[in-house]
Amino acid sequence: MQAHNKKRVCYYYDSDIGNYYYGQGHPMKPHRIRMTHNLLLNYGLYRKMEIYRPHKATAEEMTKFHSDEYIRFLRSIRPDNMTEYNKQMQRFNVGEDCPVFDGLYEFCQLSAGGSVAAAVKLNKQASEICINWGGGLHHAKKSEASGFCYVNDIVLGILELLKYHQRVLYIDIDVHHGDGVEEAFYTTDRVMTVSFHKYGEYFPGTGDLRDIGAGKGKYYAVNIPLRDGMDDDAYESIFVPIISKVMETFQPSAVVLQCGADSLTGDRLGCFNLTVKGHGKCVEFVKKYNLPFLMVGGGGYTIRNVSRCWTYETSVALGCEIANELPYNDYFEYFGPDFKLHISPSNMPNQNTTEYLEKIKNRLFENLRMLPHAPGVQVQAIPEDAVNDESEDEDKVDKDERLPQSDKDKRIVPDNEFSDSEDEGEGGRRDNRNFKGQRKRPRLDKESANKNANDSKSTGAANSNTENSTTDSKDEKDNKMDTTESEETTKTDDAKKDANMT
Amino acid sequence: MTTMYRVGDYVFVEISNHTPFAIRRIEELNKTSLGNVEAKVMCFYRRRDLPNPLVQLADKHQMASAEDSPLAMKIKKTWLRTPVGEEQAAQAVLDPSIASLDEERLSSNSPNSEKSGNGENLTPKQRHQVKHRELFLSRQVEVIPANNIRGKCSVTLLNETESLTSYLNKDDTFFYCLVFDPNQKTLLADKGEIRVGSRYQTDIPAMLSRDEKTDLVIADDRKLEDLESIIWTPHHSLTDRQIDQFLVVSRSIGTFARALDCSSSVKQPSLHMSAAAASRDITLFNAMDILHNHTYSIEESLCSLVPSTGPMLCRDEIEDWSASEANLFEEALDKYGKDFNDIRQDFLPWKTLKQIVEYYYMWKTTDRYVQQKRVKAVDAESKLKQVYIPNYTGGKNSTTITSSKGGASISLFNGTSNGTDLTNGKPCESCSSTNSTNSQWYPWGPAHISCRLCHNCWNYWKKYGGLKQQTRLGDAVGVEPESSTPTPTATPANNKKKFSNDVILEEEKSNDLSNPRQNHKCSIVSCGKEFKLKSHLARHYAQAHGLAVRSGSPRPIMKTRTAFYMHANIMTRLSRILCRHLIKSKKAARQPSFVINTHLVRQEFILNLSGKNPTELKNILIYKKKQRGSVTKIANKLGSPGSGPHEWLVLTPKDKLPKPERIAFPKPPKAPDGSLVYERVPNKCIDFSVKEPDVTILPNTTITTIGSTAISTQVTNLSTSSSSSGSSSIRKRPHEDINGSENAVQSFVGPPTKRPNKDPMPSHCPSPEQFAAMMAAAGQPIPRHHLNGKPKIAHMARTGSGRKQVISWMDAPDDVYFRSTPASRKARNKMLSTSNLRRAARKPWKNLPVKSPPPIIPSTPSDLQVVILD
Repeated sequence: MQAHNKKRVCYYYDSDIGNYYYGQGHPMKPHRIRMTHNLLLNYGLYRKMEIYRPHKATAEEMTKFHSDEYIRFLRSIRPDNMTEYNKQMQRFNVGEDCPVFDGLYEFCQLSAGGSVAAAVKLNKQASEICINWGGGLHHAKKSEASGFCYVNDIVLGILELLKYHQRVLYIDIDVHHGDGVEEAFYTTDRVMTVSFHKYGEYFPGTGDLRDIGAGKGKYYAVNIPLRDGMDDDAYESIFVPIISKVMETFQPSAVVLQCGADSLTGDRLGCFNLTVKGHGKCVEFVKKYNLPFLMVGGGGYTIRNVSRCWTYETSVALGCEIANELPYNDYFEYFGPDFKLHISPSNMPNQNTTEYLEKIKNRLFENLRMLPHAPGVQVQAIPEDAVNDESEDEDKVDKDERLPQSDKDKRIVPDNEFSDSEDEGEGGRRDNRNFKGQRKRPRLDKESANKNANDSKSTGAANSNTENSTTDSKDEKDNKMDTTESEETTKTDDAKKDANMT
Repeated sequence: MTTMYRVGDYVFVEISNHTPFAIRRIEELNKTSLGNVEAKVMCFYRRRDLPNPLVQLADKHQMASAEDSPLAMKIKKTWLRTPVGEEQAAQAVLDPSIASLDEERLSSNSPNSEKSGNGENLTPKQRHQVKHRELFLSRQVEVIPANNIRGKCSVTLLNETESLTSYLNKDDTFFYCLVFDPNQKTLLADKGEIRVGSRYQTDIPAMLSRDEKTDLVIADDRKLEDLESIIWTPHHSLTDRQIDQFLVVSRSIGTFARALDCSSSVKQPSLHMSAAAASRDITLFNAMDILHNHTYSIEESLCSLVPSTGPMLCRDEIEDWSASEANLFEEALDKYGKDFNDIRQDFLPWKTLKQIVEYYYMWKTTDRYVQQKRVKAVDAESKLKQVYIPNYTGGKNSTTITSSKGGASISLFNGTSNGTDLTNGKPCESCSSTNSTNSQWYPWGPAHISCRLCHNCWNYWKKYGGLKQQTRLGDAVGVEPESSTPTPTATPANNKKKFSNDVILEEEKSNDLSNPRQNHKCSIVSCGKEFKLKSHLARHYAQAHGLAVRSGSPRPIMKTRTAFYMHANIMTRLSRILCRHLIKSKKAARQPSFVINTHLVRQEFILNLSGKNPTELKNILIYKKKQRGSVTKIANKLGSPGSGPHEWLVLTPKDKLPKPERIAFPKPPKAPDGSLVYERVPNKCIDFSVKEPDVTILPNTTITTIGSTAISTQVTNLSTSSSSSGSSSIRKRPHEDINGSENAVQSFVGPPTKRPNKDPMPSHCPSPEQFAAMMAAAGQPIPRHHLNGKPKIAHMARTGSGRKQVISWMDAPDDVYFRSTPASRKARNKMLSTSNLRRAARKPWKNLPVKSPPPIIPSTPSDLQVVILD
């Protein structure tokens, strides 16, 4: 019934999400997600997807990554009791960039709930592409809010995917560095984080070319530092080869793409010059790999362009073309004066010379060559089972419709679109604020020995096929000094339980 | 040829004629009230701008970052913090092992084994030039006139993969690695950090085990039902067409439902409006939900659209709110901005916050919002996105020495006006050539050494802050002029003689006078017509835009006339003395209506002036004290008995007093009870001078002052250009001299902010008193407006009773005051001694004995025009 490039797409949306309000003058506007939703309805894309309303993520779910204390704090803080939490607000970096607003916790629950549900959906193979525009809050740290992000739904989603997938690839095309996700998986080789971002005198200040991961995770963090004015061609010229190489060497079995739309031209905070088409090309390219694919939102502060972009990218995921003429909808007036889907780049100069991009690319290729998967390196470095696992996985995923992607549809759109680079609201286009303002006062938080993780570990031990991978994770545990004892005890308990079960 | 500059561009900025350009990034472009463009810029510093210990530190950093050793990484990650002046401390920051690395580097400094940057082979010359390309970012922001921008350049964060030669090979490219803090004198690496440890990383779950036969994951506790609920699925039997049809039906049912609903029929009197309301997205979403809930059966869904309670009616917030609620919301938005919590508490407590937010985003699509946006756009008019600046061609007059003229033109370089002798025949200090393009030579280096640069080297020096080659003076001496003015914000040392300085100031004054008067521009977007008079503009507003700019507007628009003073310069004072018999200053002072014949005064003055040399004139000006004898003597004489009442002490009887021709201050008529009747002067007083000719005190006063101002003007012209004495016409120059700015001229900011004249309910428009009360109730002070940088409005000092002169607010300039900021105070303290400051306060007309002129004095030629593109 469906064409070969048509995929089962699940889309997560809560009709309340647009009504959360970060505060006067704050550039982050959840309303953009609702604008996208209304555009999807009126473009007729709504009826082509499975639409889900995510349930609110529980505190337990969120503490799979975040510290108990931090989540408890998020749950209890409200604008009217803020004064009682002065010290904690400082510690958790809540206040300025990440304000306390009404329904803050619910907002985090919805955003995280969407990404977790989407990941589970992919795990169950009930879908091929899942979209949660309410997610993508990539700056949130384990026990710290940062850059408008409180709960890192991406990390939670990836953790869910890791239950079924040996290796998960995370790609970040937000203009800001995906530091929260990178930090969370900095020392593991099961998640590779690839972030394309503006670097230099820009929030959050991380993402240098030489930040490549640590410990076992060395070479599993890939950072592409870029300069102002990236345009479509330049972006493609770096995105395609890097991602191809990453796919080739890392061979993930699932992909998460953070589609932050602040890399679009004319963004209130961004400084790139991408059009909706150029941004969407990244989605298109990743989609071609036919891997379980989770798309999440992220930044994006000129909201009319954000909703344009995410609408277009939903259509790319669905594999159906949509007209450049925007359909009438509740927020039609926002898209004036042209009322077109696509936007034109500005004439800002691109400070990324081909020479510069080439050099970056070569350096990253050198790093990727260090990966055990790389063709030049011996294959035995890979745990045997992992390979099996992965191929099995792939077989299953593509059981029905793994057909060669012979001809890609060309999306033809008239060139006479209108560019509207007027800034949204007040504020400059640069995001220099709070740079380096990060706090570094972490807390011990290791009570949250989550049952699932331990369950899985011990069951893994029972299964001879995945022995190697469990030893791997044991090694990891050894690195984490302060967690080992508690882990050990629970682990043996669980092992007993599992023995009974099996 | 012009160049367009945008926010975000990196630019060369002229700081002074004899220092290299400063490199800045444009953060903001603002149009000032005078029509000039100011740029808010972020500062980049050159090596030569850094204190010495920091330069060494920077060297080490660069060297270290070139290595890929763990040691180098260590430095890279260290925050290089050094208190300046303490070199030991600087050393201490660095690891001793790095110092040894440094030694090694220095020892291998022979040309063949030389390595720099990324292990590239650089010649000594290149190494020298690379230093000119390194900048240091700072978070320092300053404001400069856009006219001082001299060209574009590019500054990028150095990436380790890049070769330094790639910068040398391209003109106008710079790189930076470190951030310089000019206040704390520190250098930091501009880098964040990914932290490692169990506190930062997440626990990685192992993969779930699978059943070997079925290959299904066992023991997954995740159930999708707990995580999501389905709203829509594409797996159904309906065609697209059927869905579309159903949507149309649900919309028509919605229209019908609105026709039946009383409250709707009031708000939407026409069918079209009902249909539009029924076509909003909420109806569609609801229709989709219904389809899904009835298992995609059109039949069932249709029935559920028309339940027994009547046809289904879905309304969103924009439709749900009553007109009065909408008005409340707009009022609240006006008052609180987008603080929806406050809006809810004080205006709409019966709405939830979510409803208000939803309403707000829908309200933004309405015409009402567009109107408000327009007003906002007026406010934002001064913020520019880009600006065209003609390529700079001037500057030759000041620093260059044109050899064709034999260096006859005056060089103002470092206070030496004898630029002739020192340059003849010397080769270029940098490239040693004796030919220069356009045969222009530029004096360079400290005055006592007297070197010169050829055109190319001069350009290089201006852009990169160094010479192409290392020379004997090279970086050592070449830096010197800068070190006397260490920060780029400091203004060039201006050692011009006092006399020449005065001349220049005089010239500027006369330039100001000859400028065409400021036009008044309509502030409505896409109109922008200009008018010579404010009243014309007001009429234009009324006719073309339907905006009444009236006194009943909610904004306190009343203005009082600003105090002015007459600055009597030397020539004016001379004229007073020389033409004493014509001016009769004592009489004029007593009798403001006395008319001075300025033409006569001028003629007489020129006549008298012609035969005198400066010393004579000076003598005239010297104040001669009258010899009256000592006070005691006079007092004794007055009090001496026996001499009887002097004749001059006897009062003249009232009826014999001489009557003035004209009574300047006539008494008001008496009421029957004998009290004086003061008529109230209405606020709108455009016509009061017509009705009550007796009270035109003000105009009379101005005549006199205008007269004398005119004299001073005229005299100024005389002193500067003797030829123009007869031809220049008398111009009135309003001396609204507030800290040197003439902001008041353009003070009229267009229509008041609050939906002028389009208010559906006129009663909503509060009177000024009501407005004041409102503001007071809100706990908000009526905004005061400052001159320095902030928006401003006028306020009326007094209202109501009392016979006060109230003049038309449109004619009056703004009340302005200067609000000193910490920065301005600091600058003031630096430039003025306390005694000088006090003296200036007592005698506001005196020229300030400022040590260095303020940086924003428009020293650039006035032919540089800035074209603004909004």
